[in-house]
Amino acid sequence: MKNSIKLKTLLAACSLMAAASAQAEPTMANAQAMAWQCAPCHGTNGQEFKEAMPPLAGMPAQQFIDAMTAYREGTRAAVIMDRVARGFTDDEIKAMAIWFEKQPVKQWDKTSLTESLEAQASAAATGGQK
Amino acid sequence: MSQQENKVFDSKITRRDLIKVFGVSAVAATGLFGASEKAYAKSAGHVVILGGGIGGSTFAKYLRFADPDVKITIIEQYPEYITCPRSNDVIVGYHTLDELTFNLDTVKSKYNVNVIIDKVTDADFDKKTVSTAKGQTVSYDKLVVSPGIDFKFEDYEGMSKEIAETKIFHGYKAGPQTLALRKQLLAVPQGGTAIIAPPKNPFRCPPGPYERASFFAEYFQKHNPTAKVIVLDPKDHFTKDVPFKKAWERLYGYKTDNALIEWVSGSEGGGVMGVDADNMTVETMAGTFKADMINLIPNQRAGKLAQKLGLTDASGWCPIDRHSFESTIQKEVYVLGDSTIADAMPKSGYAANSQAKVCAQAVADTLKDRPLGRAIYSNVCYSLAGENYGVSIAAIYEVRDGFIQPKGKSAGVSPITDKPAQPILEAVYQKNWQREFVKDVFS
Repeated sequence: MKNSIKLKTLLAACSLMAAASAQAEPTMANAQAMAWQCAPCHGTNGQEFKEAMPPLAGMPAQQFIDAMTAYREGTRAAVIMDRVARGFTDDEIKAMAIWFEKQPVKQWDKTSLTESLEAQASAAATGGQK
Repeated sequence: MSQQENKVFDSKITRRDLIKVFGVSAVAATGLFGASEKAYAKSAGHVVILGGGIGGSTFAKYLRFADPDVKITIIEQYPEYITCPRSNDVIVGYHTLDELTFNLDTVKSKYNVNVIIDKVTDADFDKKTVSTAKGQTVSYDKLVVSPGIDFKFEDYEGMSKEIAETKIFHGYKAGPQTLALRKQLLAVPQGGTAIIAPPKNPFRCPPGPYERASFFAEYFQKHNPTAKVIVLDPKDHFTKDVPFKKAWERLYGYKTDNALIEWVSGSEGGGVMGVDADNMTVETMAGTFKADMINLIPNQRAGKLAQKLGLTDASGWCPIDRHSFESTIQKEVYVLGDSTIADAMPKSGYAANSQAKVCAQAVADTLKDRPLGRAIYSNVCYSLAGENYGVSIAAIYEVRDGFIQPKGKSAGVSPITDKPAQPILEAVYQKNWQREFVKDVFS
């Protein structure tokens, strides 16, 4: 597998960050773990651009935050996203928003594994902060 | 679709699909040391997955995301997999089994996963090896099992595995069972009766029997309007029962004299005690029901492999650590999907996919001696109460007070509204979900 040096550096950075916080149980799931849960409807890593459910990959973080917050507060008409959004806190929504913004804006089946691993590592390296 | 068209359609899917299901021996096993072997680092560890269905395939893909170097092998009995999700559609002709049939080719090539087509016969947890019917022995560092369900035919007088393969079909493992139910449904005479008997909790796909009842009613409405489906239930409530019953009222005259669906609850004596396959009758506390077809979906327990490997407890299901899905009976063995005790999470394909992702990250972290992250799970089940009428349930889950429970205020079913858009959009999203879900699992 042709992993770039950049990817390996990022993965190492993630491991160090994880190790640093090893003692206390984390208060929330990390962005990647949450974002993966969206895939059955929105595509792997949000990269489904041909369906009724909107693609999340590459969505501007603020647009994601505004939509999820409005669904959660009941101010935006929803079919099921109101029920889903009520499961997430502000911090969790923000972390997912930043993670999805970093994913390739292309259909999943056109994305190589290496390209995706780099995008996921790059998103994880933000630690959920812009 | 006319009866004649159905007949043509049927003979087409039956022939192709049965070859697909039974033509297993034609496909040779893929060696353990396949083309991608050289891609693995020597000390990365070997994760072996038993079962290449929804749980196993999702796990392999997401483990590759979580660890680019680990060696991954799937051992799966069949070269092709037919999804249970949407197999109700096949019974009434909205889909063919072909459209629900998938393989592990993309998982193998894109995610560098070894795929062995072989039947697992046993595991040695001390030596950390798995043995197969073709005589292979495969060593693992971590073992992942996604064994599905098994049926308790013995709970019903007059019922047996043999009768379930010849006369009274469950249709709860997609394939020949699904096609057998279709054949029976099409053969129900004008004004005839179809019985659907759902199991006790817990069981695979909790809305499945009720979606199926809806589909039977819709089919009868079009082709056999004086026929009727009777649901004989051991329970007083079922998942999404409020939106389902509202849909039945709106679409099928539920609770009127001309109702296409009748539902007999557990309190009313609906629980099935026995069957007479020769006379097509069902015994319940509410009396004897005669039918033209009986779809008994038996009570369930964890799949046979889970039982054989000793991963089940007295309940018949597999206890797991809620943070990782590692078996609490056997260290370094992980269990996914329908066979697990996952508390508030239903036994659904979506749930298996969700659990597989958390488990994949947990296995990757454990192999690298990293602390586990916080687990988060989800489930969204869309069902159809009619071809263009959807009902759903959705929840995000977390581990709280030692159990998997809905997170925040996320859990809920479709609201009952006067807006026609809600069920129409849910049906659109259901079809969207179906296409997208299998891509997340198999590609």
